[in-house]
Amino acid sequence: MNKKIISYLIVFLGIPAVVLLGNTVFSGVKYVWFMIAVSVLSTVPFVISFEKKEHSVTYLLLIAALTALSVMGRLIFVAVPAFKPVTAMVVITAVYFGPEAGFLTGAFSALLSNFYFGQGPWTAFQMAAWGLIGFVIGLMRNRLKQSRALLCVAGAVSGVVYSLVMDVWDAIFADGTVLWSRYVSFLATSAPFTVIYAVSTLVFLLLLEKPIGKKLQRIKDKYGI
Amino acid sequence: MPKEKRFFREGGRRVVKAFAKFHPVTLFAYFAVILLFSMFIRNPVTVCLSLLGGAAFCSTLTNKREKLDDIKFYIPLTVLIAITNPLISHNGKTPLFFLNGNAFTLESIYYGVFIALMIIAVRMWSKSYSRIVTSDKFLYLFGRFAPKTALILSVALRYVPMMKAQAKKIKDAQKTLGLYSKGSYADNVVSTVKVYSALIGWSLENAVETGKNMKARGWGHGKRTSFSSFRFRAADAVVLVLLAVFSAAMLISLRTGRLAFSFYPEPTALPADPVSVFAYVCFALLSFIPFFIESEENIRWNCLRSKT
Repeated sequence: MNKKIISYLIVFLGIPAVVLLGNTVFSGVKYVWFMIAVSVLSTVPFVISFEKKEHSVTYLLLIAALTALSVMGRLIFVAVPAFKPVTAMVVITAVYFGPEAGFLTGAFSALLSNFYFGQGPWTAFQMAAWGLIGFVIGLMRNRLKQSRALLCVAGAVSGVVYSLVMDVWDAIFADGTVLWSRYVSFLATSAPFTVIYAVSTLVFLLLLEKPIGKKLQRIKDKYGI
Repeated sequence: MPKEKRFFREGGRRVVKAFAKFHPVTLFAYFAVILLFSMFIRNPVTVCLSLLGGAAFCSTLTNKREKLDDIKFYIPLTVLIAITNPLISHNGKTPLFFLNGNAFTLESIYYGVFIALMIIAVRMWSKSYSRIVTSDKFLYLFGRFAPKTALILSVALRYVPMMKAQAKKIKDAQKTLGLYSKGSYADNVVSTVKVYSALIGWSLENAVETGKNMKARGWGHGKRTSFSSFRFRAADAVVLVLLAVFSAAMLISLRTGRLAFSFYPEPTALPADPVSVFAYVCFALLSFIPFFIESEENIRWNCLRSKT
């Protein structure tokens, strides 16, 4: 009941308030405002529906471990520049546990790793970006499970998408409005990183997808989940 | 006992931050407001004030090396953005020269400097936020609304250092076996992936064990409680009231267009009527609140410190 009220409040008060503030007080820089507000409001329904559902504590702990692992990935690969397995971990989680787990692992990884790398207004945007990647991959999981090639393509594309989306943030954040030349210049400067990011996601998926699948199966057998 | 409550000295400097002792609600409200205003008011005066306040406060949180690193990073960044901005936007009425038929304008350089200052101000405040609103405060704030999310986050926060220790053990074992010791890029990647893979197996098993354990101990039966030692003091009320008053003043002057400023086609005159000046003063006070609090504590600390 309580949570129903909160979700109604978001729809009937939160969204109009966002639009109103954007058009009156922050009108000069409304795109930045909308970007932050929309990314926050898009994570809230996922969290609410997750809180509502019944979950076994083992499931919660597994999500926690997968989140911590993708944060660890960001920490452990410091020695190897631009190799970051977060997207790969989110993709693998989404494929094995479904869209909800994919979204949660993505969003929580962004939030948690920023406790180590620095929080900021970009946290909400990162959470939405990684969360939605996990969600979309999770929706396609039956197709992706059948074909390893397709999974690798999806992983590489997710890596590129994440990079492109974060460039949108940088571009709009700088100008407070949409300036295509700025976005293109950011794309050009970040192109090498985008490529390495996509390739590294691909490499991680190739190297890790099978072992993780085996490990999950082993745990399922061992503990009878 | 949380780390910031332990009083100890580091070369005679105060390690405990006075601002960190405020209630999480006060801290979160303060940082949210100052970050929103720094991002959304595109006025050179307020951005400079925010940058000064943020840098002053951040300098009380960082050591000498971090300060030097910041300066080394942000000054070239400002120059870079100032130079590259005219290449991206060709607005403005004072062309300095033409490049491939596109004007390289003075106003674009001004605007580039402005963007850089805004970005630095936001980063300074974000850095201070990360140091002050630590994960325990964040969980205290939002854990009540989303208990399952809070459980996942707090477990994951504990897992990270545990996994770090385990990763080191795995790595040491591999080194002792003489694996991947060449140190080339490919070697580095493969060995780290191997360590990571072993870590994944270990962590997942650990998580399932913990879950079974929690279930056996009756997790999910009855109401759960949580512990926290945050107190809402009179000082919190003062800061919150100041915050409300100053933000109301800022919002009203924003709404009436008193802080409007534009760089193109040429920089408009800075709004300087009494109402705008009042808004500037309000914003200056607002952005220096944390620095004032730290300075006051510093003075008190130095007066009371034994001079041996």
